[in-house]
Amino acid sequence: MTHAAMTLEPSPFGIQSKKLAIWLFIMADGATFGAILFAYGYLRIGTPDWSRPFAWTPTILNAAVMTLVLLSSSVTMLLAVSAAQSGRIAAGVRWLGGTALLGTAFAALHLREWFAMFHEGWSVSHNPLNGPAQFGATFFGITGLHLLHVITGVAAILVIAAGFRRGRFNAGHVETTGLYWHFVDLVWMFVFPMVYLMNAR
Amino acid sequence: MTTASASRPSARTYLIVWVALVAIVVVEILLTYAHLSPGTQLAALLSLALVEAGIALAYFMHLRYERAILFWSLIPGLVFALLMLDQIWFDALRLITLRHGP
Repeated sequence: MTHAAMTLEPSPFGIQSKKLAIWLFIMADGATFGAILFAYGYLRIGTPDWSRPFAWTPTILNAAVMTLVLLSSSVTMLLAVSAAQSGRIAAGVRWLGGTALLGTAFAALHLREWFAMFHEGWSVSHNPLNGPAQFGATFFGITGLHLLHVITGVAAILVIAAGFRRGRFNAGHVETTGLYWHFVDLVWMFVFPMVYLMNAR
Repeated sequence: MTTASASRPSARTYLIVWVALVAIVVVEILLTYAHLSPGTQLAALLSLALVEAGIALAYFMHLRYERAILFWSLIPGLVFALLMLDQIWFDALRLITLRHGP
């Protein structure tokens, strides 16, 4: 036994290093989203004439569908991880593909909503209802940061799926990616009620 | 290195969790149109969001099946950091009085 092997200790968490690393990233990213949501709350409370422009159709209904899509993508990701851990590579790749598809659908619905709002005159610095411009800044800032996480998550899932299929990545990589994806879903569970439902007409 | 968790939820458990989360989303939407005061609506939606987050952490992210030390090493610190942000609310309330006067 080498000297290095004799001095190594087992991880107290009982998990692979990459899994611990993604958990630490999730905690940091969670603090980031927490801070941006608190900033939104601060601006909202401190601004007496805050706009509440979201009608049931199309905005709230669209956001509800987006929520359903993202929740379903978490289930497909769970099935991908389960398949990967059972050694079922083809099934794992299929479920990863399904997750990426649902993530893309979420992003497409979101961008469609954004462009509809741009068309109405909304931007990060303009409120077409003559209310505070902070509405656009906070709305597009928060949803934009989340959308960035979704898009990079879809890209990561596709890379992992391709590598897993070729044998370059293992079930641990799939599980690590799954943790990131569930975090993206978890953040949306706060964004949807705080940013959409609280601004419903 | 193998993972510490010996048991994993079944597909049926995942489906039950999914149904529970969808049900919470439906309740959130119903509360939105229940003509609650803004403060009550916020408290209700935030509480439900925290329940959803707990369910997602426990079952989707498998924190329930990991060693307890992982939970205690990660979550309390994040909760503390987020609670510290609560200090800003007093300043936001002060802004309202500054705008409209005492």
